[in-house]
Amino acid sequence: MRGFSTVLVERGDLATGTTGRFHGLLHSGGRYVVKDPKAAEECYAENVVLRRIAADCIEDTGGLFVTTPADDPGYADRFLQSCAATGIPAEEIPAAEALRREPRLNPRISRAIIVPDATVDAWKTVWTTARSATEHGAQILTYHQVVDMTRDGDTVTGAVVRDRSGAEVRIRAEITINATGAWAGQIAAMAGCEVKVLPGKGIMVATNHRLVNMCVNRCEMPGDGDIIVPIRTVSVIGTTDVQVADPDDWPITRAEIDEMITAGEALVPGFREARTLRVWGGVRPLFQDDAPAETRDVTRAHAVLDHKTRDGVAGLVTITGGKFCTYRLMAQDAVDAACKALGTSRPCHTADEPLPDSQDQSFYHISSRLAGRERTLHADQLICECELVRRGRLVAEIERREVPPSLDDIRRALRLGMGPCQGGFCMYRATGILHEERHLSAAAADDAMLDFLQERWKGVQPLLHGDQLRQAWLDDWIFQGVLDVEHLPHVEPAPADAPAGHDVPSRVQLPAQERKSARERRAAGQRGSGQQRPARSQKRTQP
Amino acid sequence: MTEIDRRTADVVVVGAGLAGLTAAIRLAEAGLRVVTVAKGLGSIRLSPATIDILGYGPDLVHEPARELQGFLSAHPGHPYSLVSPVQLAASVQWLKEHTDGTAYVGDPDANMLLPTALGVPRPSAVVPETMAAGDIRKSRSVAVAGFSVLKDFQPDLAAENLQAAAAALGFGMTVRPLHLNTRVNGEADVSSLALARRLEDTAFRNAVAAELTAGLRDEDAVGLPAVLGLDQAASVWSDLQAMVGRPVFEIPTVPPSAPGMRLAKVLQDRLRHAGGRLVLGSEVVGAEVQGGQLAGVRVKTAARQLAWMCRWVVLATGGFASGGLAVDLSGAVSETALGLPVSGPPPDEPLFLPRYLDEHPMGSVGLKVDPLLRPLAYDGEPVHPNLYAAGAVIGGARPAREKSGDGISLSTGYLAAGIILQEAG
Repeated sequence: MRGFSTVLVERGDLATGTTGRFHGLLHSGGRYVVKDPKAAEECYAENVVLRRIAADCIEDTGGLFVTTPADDPGYADRFLQSCAATGIPAEEIPAAEALRREPRLNPRISRAIIVPDATVDAWKTVWTTARSATEHGAQILTYHQVVDMTRDGDTVTGAVVRDRSGAEVRIRAEITINATGAWAGQIAAMAGCEVKVLPGKGIMVATNHRLVNMCVNRCEMPGDGDIIVPIRTVSVIGTTDVQVADPDDWPITRAEIDEMITAGEALVPGFREARTLRVWGGVRPLFQDDAPAETRDVTRAHAVLDHKTRDGVAGLVTITGGKFCTYRLMAQDAVDAACKALGTSRPCHTADEPLPDSQDQSFYHISSRLAGRERTLHADQLICECELVRRGRLVAEIERREVPPSLDDIRRALRLGMGPCQGGFCMYRATGILHEERHLSAAAADDAMLDFLQERWKGVQPLLHGDQLRQAWLDDWIFQGVLDVEHLPHVEPAPADAPAGHDVPSRVQLPAQERKSARERRAAGQRGSGQQRPARSQKRTQP
Repeated sequence: MTEIDRRTADVVVVGAGLAGLTAAIRLAEAGLRVVTVAKGLGSIRLSPATIDILGYGPDLVHEPARELQGFLSAHPGHPYSLVSPVQLAASVQWLKEHTDGTAYVGDPDANMLLPTALGVPRPSAVVPETMAAGDIRKSRSVAVAGFSVLKDFQPDLAAENLQAAAAALGFGMTVRPLHLNTRVNGEADVSSLALARRLEDTAFRNAVAAELTAGLRDEDAVGLPAVLGLDQAASVWSDLQAMVGRPVFEIPTVPPSAPGMRLAKVLQDRLRHAGGRLVLGSEVVGAEVQGGQLAGVRVKTAARQLAWMCRWVVLATGGFASGGLAVDLSGAVSETALGLPVSGPPPDEPLFLPRYLDEHPMGSVGLKVDPLLRPLAYDGEPVHPNLYAAGAVIGGARPAREKSGDGISLSTGYLAAGIILQEAG
């Protein structure tokens, strides 16, 4: 948007690092307002901006801060004072009124304050931001991992990136922005600069439906498991904050999960009996210069580092710290720093220009997808019943990608497989459709399914109990009992050294000919290999 | 507390799956007063309705009856160790005699290799006749046809995998996918059950047969998703076969399962016909104990409780998928109907492993029973002398992995009835 020729590289799919791994709360700033008014002000300002530019990604749930019997009753007064001082709209309502709006809340709450919290779909925000960037001329290379930073003397001149096939690409750039969050230290080190970022692990647990319809927070100093966020079809409780050594390798323990679910009881009695779908974690990037023991005391405000003034290395700017809510502001600050380093001054428009799909500034609503489904009820197949993903949208997503997507890539774009059955029913269908639409070999399609099975298992396995365990057994019955996936001709065991809590590397290796885009194939008049698919002419011609 | 309603039977069978229905029919046919109570509809409806005896142990099993002994020496504590080869064969014979209308073929001596909807040749010993022609050992060339309205069967993927998998097993065959576009009321999304009912309509069936015939070349046989009718499956299948002039075979889909619906209905009809009662929607919530003896079960049905008093109880509530066993947040395992003792993995072991296809410690958890199928207390003694377990609630097996679930349920259900009949004299 500022007229630079830009390329974005990401080692995985978009939003697979930390951005896609949070609870979905678009902060009003309330959470930080007492402890860190500066961060709270930043949050609120960006909350207002995002409602303007990314409305389609946001559900305007509103937020509630409630005082439970376990909380300090005096905190609510400090909270209201701080909100007034920082300009965050906050309105106290009678506890009875809060219970009328949210009947599952703890009936023993004594105070309730309404703030403009909302929920935001991280993946949709990232995808539409990426689309906007592409429309403005940026090039985006996913599944391209930075393996080295190139330097010419004291100046960073770009990066060497490696794609899934192992091929390396050298990218030359006048300026490189290191926006790798918890990984910022690793990238900076490749350029010979030291950046200390503490990865702070936070875990979240999703229940199979919405226990509340507003974001509900404990009216207390921020702690573990004190927020329940109604995002899309589920409720998410979060979170924890535990310092970890390696942002790519950390476990989730049953004890942590138990702690999280037990914490939910304070806000919603009976939370322990709710059906819990899945647990996941993300690593916050907490920038600092001297490591303290407790990660929560480190400021959340982001840091922009110009390595020329800091380390004497030109051509590199690092942006780290921060939180999802302030992503746009972080980008603005980073590009401002880049402009300064390049000796140019170009104004930022990201706060004013709505993202694609958000032009009419109407918020997402919980029933939006159902309304869309009703319009196509008889015309299109429902592939994922839990998340109402219809075939037409799935096919469009499969065709849109230059490289055939993994089912997990599709999940992030469409929420396929994220509901109560965790892919038990849609996975086979989606695999068949992926195979058919991208003319994959069956082996590649099978691998995509096995990778997705593993990916789903990863988030389900640590907390399996109750009804979700029953579901997992039914899914096992489908995949192993009925389909016999484990005896597909080329199935091999997953790598034995895969650490818990870390993605098992994808085993999808596509032959070069399958890497052609749909557009290329169409241009070449190819419809798959005629010999392999003689029946193609008989495929449905009706809508 | 008011006195609850008490009713009387000779035997209460808990659970309406394959194990429970087998035991109940056998007991009712022998003249005992049998009531079967079940919380849900029974798990048969989710199953492909093949009677798998043993498919993998862990290598592919070709002759289950012969290979079972070796399997059992490597898997002590497996539920098949409770069943003699004669009893296993007798239970299969019994099933064949009780499933007129859904004829079963095959026997425990040899496995067929029948394609799954993913195209994997799955070992199965006793199968509905509508599936038998899918045995990859019999054909050199098949077509696999899907309906564009049915998302639960993907013919391209199934065909390509099947050809590769058959070749890997040494059976060279060509497999060609076909796509059927016959319209179903203008709808794009039709479930396997709706399609199965539709195929009982002659005009629709004729249209499907015409489209199939036009697409077929010189294939030996043609596979279709298992949607060939519900009540009239036998005639739908034979009629279609006659029209396309070659063997037709069904390929099981993910649930709901038309073959499972057929088997459940046949067995339930047999039970009623034999004078047995079947009360669905009844959850057993505890034991009725009199003088230290199990005297019946307490049942929650239609928002009230009643007691079924009886001389014998057969517990056939199934495993974790069916709700007969459960795990709580702490990882503790319970038996849900009567609160019987059941041990999960040792405390120092994880319940599940990080890789999906691993053999998870929780995977084979279930009741321990004595040779008379009586659940054991932690001291190794039967909890009640007149309580018997059958089917997936018994631990020691990995049914989904071994392809052994139906055989275990059928034979232990059959055996439980036999033990009670012996005691009844």
